[in-house]
Formats: sequence, structure tokens, C-alpha cells
Amino acid sequence: MGGDAVRHLTEEEMVLHQLGEAEGAPAIEAHLEECAQCRAAVDALRRDLEAVPVPEPPERGADYGAEVWARLQPRLAGEPKVVAIDARRSWAPRVWAPLALAASLVLAFLLGRHWPHAAPPPAAASVSPAARERILLVAVGDHLERSEMLLVELVNAGVDGQSADISAEQHWAEELVGANRLYRQTVARTGETGVASVLDELERLLVEVAHRPSSLSPAERDEIRHRIESRGLLFRVRVIETQVREKEKESLGTPAAARAVS
Amino acid sequence: MVGGEDDAQAVARARGGDVEAFRLLVERHSRGVFRLAFRMTGNEHDAEDVVQETFLKAYRKLAAFEERAQFGSWLHRIAANCAYDVLRARLRHDERVDRTETAEGERTLSVPADDPSPDRLVAGTEVRRRMRAALARMSALERSAFTLRHVEGMSIAEISHALGLDASAAKQSVFRAVRKLRQALGDQAQWGATP
Repeated sequence: MGGDAVRHLTEEEMVLHQLGEAEGAPAIEAHLEECAQCRAAVDALRRDLEAVPVPEPPERGADYGAEVWARLQPRLAGEPKVVAIDARRSWAPRVWAPLALAASLVLAFLLGRHWPHAAPPPAAASVSPAARERILLVAVGDHLERSEMLLVELVNAGVDGQSADISAEQHWAEELVGANRLYRQTVARTGETGVASVLDELERLLVEVAHRPSSLSPAERDEIRHRIESRGLLFRVRVIETQVREKEKESLGTPAAARAVS
Repeated sequence: MVGGEDDAQAVARARGGDVEAFRLLVERHSRGVFRLAFRMTGNEHDAEDVVQETFLKAYRKLAAFEERAQFGSWLHRIAANCAYDVLRARLRHDERVDRTETAEGERTLSVPADDPSPDRLVAGTEVRRRMRAALARMSALERSAFTLRHVEGMSIAEISHALGLDASAAKQSVFRAVRKLRQALGDQAQWGATP
């Protein structure tokens, strides 16, 4: 800001400086120290802002809170009961260990199937193929159920027109990505291309949700909602979950049917 | 003693489905939400609507509320957004509103100069009269952003979060609002506050 041709502060710089939001505040302050013209302009701006009256709201009585509640309560009666996401997710740690075991068994299963000469891990050695398949079905079914819950949360995230904080959903998505990848690879290798395709699309969404900023603008939230709804991802996840659960039941009822999934 | 518990405790109970705990939060924060709503809308009736809508939305979103956050700040962000919606709706539907396009393509609120409804914003002084004129020339976004910054003392980051904007857009909205305000105020040396 020195030199022969002095660059004075722009109006925007002055306003933002006055509001404490200017970038390069030290340089602006240094310029104001030296430039009487800009200093006078900033003083005028400050006087203008100080002159702006603060609207004083009309007083409300001591019972105002109770009055607000009386009007609000009937509207809340039609709302679903609040169940915190944390509470809904509280079962996650409990199922995570079995899912991890299931995942290792799935890997063992794949190793046994596709690399028959490889020595099976100890866990796989003691589990029959039918049991492994059943574990796979249960694990995939649970994974789809959790994914479905997350998709529902994302579709309903945020207040209309307001930024949405999806940090809780992001942690959830992070947890699901690894398992999803494993199940996608598994079902792809077993020839279940339809299921693999849905899991592939689900995985891309999970990765995107996990890695984006936790605050969604209304436009970003609408985009995610559109993506989930327009491609029928939520519906397809539900359909596949139902199919997997059916196979899970069959595998428990008829040993022969248990092998159908592969 | 339920009435003596702090927000964090009440929120924890409300998140567990305890409606009475939510009632406590409503009764405790109604006045603050009303004040914010009135300052943003400049209208008592609209402010009451904003209060109701704010608590309804807060109830719906309570499940996703992060307990380490401040409930009051979170609630005020919702209220600011509701008030912004009301301002936009008023712009679209109110018969008293002229619809004009600004250079930015946003519609601006236009209130007749002799309209007595914003009386609480003006008190007969030249400054207040011009202030009203300035507010009338602002878009809903500019007015919301300016009020939140200048009156409520929110940071640009908080404003952008509340109104669903990126920080740059929030900053520009405040800047445009101040510019319109100063244009309406004209030569402040004639009537402005003494230096």
C-alpha cells in the first residue's frame, strides 16, 4: 500500500474491517495509521453503524414461555417420539465385533473358494461352508439394515432451508465403508452382480458422505437427497436387504437352499 | 429439581424422549427466540410464527443435536433460518410488497414510507426514518445477514451456518446491506451521531 500511487482502502475492505471480518487486517491497520483520508472514511462508517438503531422487541409477560408451550404442544403430539441418533447407534459397537468376525470369515471363505491351495486361517478351518454362508448372509443383512438407516437419516437431515450438521452420519458412514467394500467384493466374486451393483453405488455415496465437510448447505443436502431418491438407492437397498433376509431364513430351514446364495 | 437443571441435562432427557424436558427448554428459551425473531422480521405476528416454527423444527432435529454443542446457539441458528424464511415468504406473498429486481437478481423488500407497521423500528427521528427506508431496500438475505451481524453479533461463520450460505456469500450480503444502509442515510454529517 506504499509507493507513489497509494491504494486506498475499498469500501468493502472498510466495512469488513469495521465488522472485524477483513482479511489482511494488519495491513489495513497499517494503512489506516498512515492515511488520513481512509481513516476519516472509516470513522464516518463507524458513526453510521453506531447510528443504526437496535430494534427493541415488545415485552413479553412472565408466562410467555408457558404460552408458547401451550400453542406448541398440540403440534408436537403428531410428531414421532424423539430417539437420539446416538441411542439408535448404540447397538453399533455391540454388533461391530461380530461383524468384524463375520468379515474375517468371509475373507476366509473367499480364500478357501478362490485360492484353494492357500492354507485357510484358523477361524475358517473350524467353520463349515454352510455356516460361513449363513454368517455372510447375516452380516450382509445387518450391513444393509444399517446402511438403510443411514440413508434415511441423510434424506431427513437438516431443517428445510438450513445448513445441516451431518457429523454423526459421517462417523456412521466411515464405519460402513470398510464393511461395504468387503461385502461388495464378496458378492461380486460369488456372481451376485445385482447386489454388487447396489453395494457399489452405496459405497460411492458412503465415501462421499464420509469425506465431505460436516456442514451441508441446503443445496448440498438437496443434492444428496436427490441422489438417494432419484436413483432409488434407498428402495434398492431395502429390496436387497429383504432378499438377503429371505435367503438367511432359507439357509436356516433347508441346508440345500443355504448354498443358493453362492 | 427439574427447573434447576441446566440446558445440557434437559437436552439429554429430551433426546431420550422426555417431552417434559423439552417443555422446560421451550419455556426457558422462548423469550430469546422471540427477540431474535422480532429483530429480524420487524413484525410481532411474524416473530410469533417464527417462535413456533423454531421449536417445532428443533424438536424434529433434536435427535441429531450434538450434546457438546450449546443448545441456545443451535436454537438461535434455527430461529434465524426460520426468520429468514418468513422474510422471503413475506417478499413473495405480502400484498404490501413491491417486487423489484436488484442488480444481483434478488428481490428486495419494499415497504411504503407511510406504513405504520414497522413503528417499533422507527421513533420519528431522521435516522430511524432513513433506517427504515434502508431496510426496505434490502433483500431478505441482506437484511437477515445484517441483523445477525450488527444486532445479534453473530460472526460471519455463524451467519453462513444459520442461513445456509458459504462464508463469502454471507460476507457479501452484510457488505451490500451496509452499503444500502449508508446510501439511504445519505450525508450522515447532517444528522449522524456526533464524532
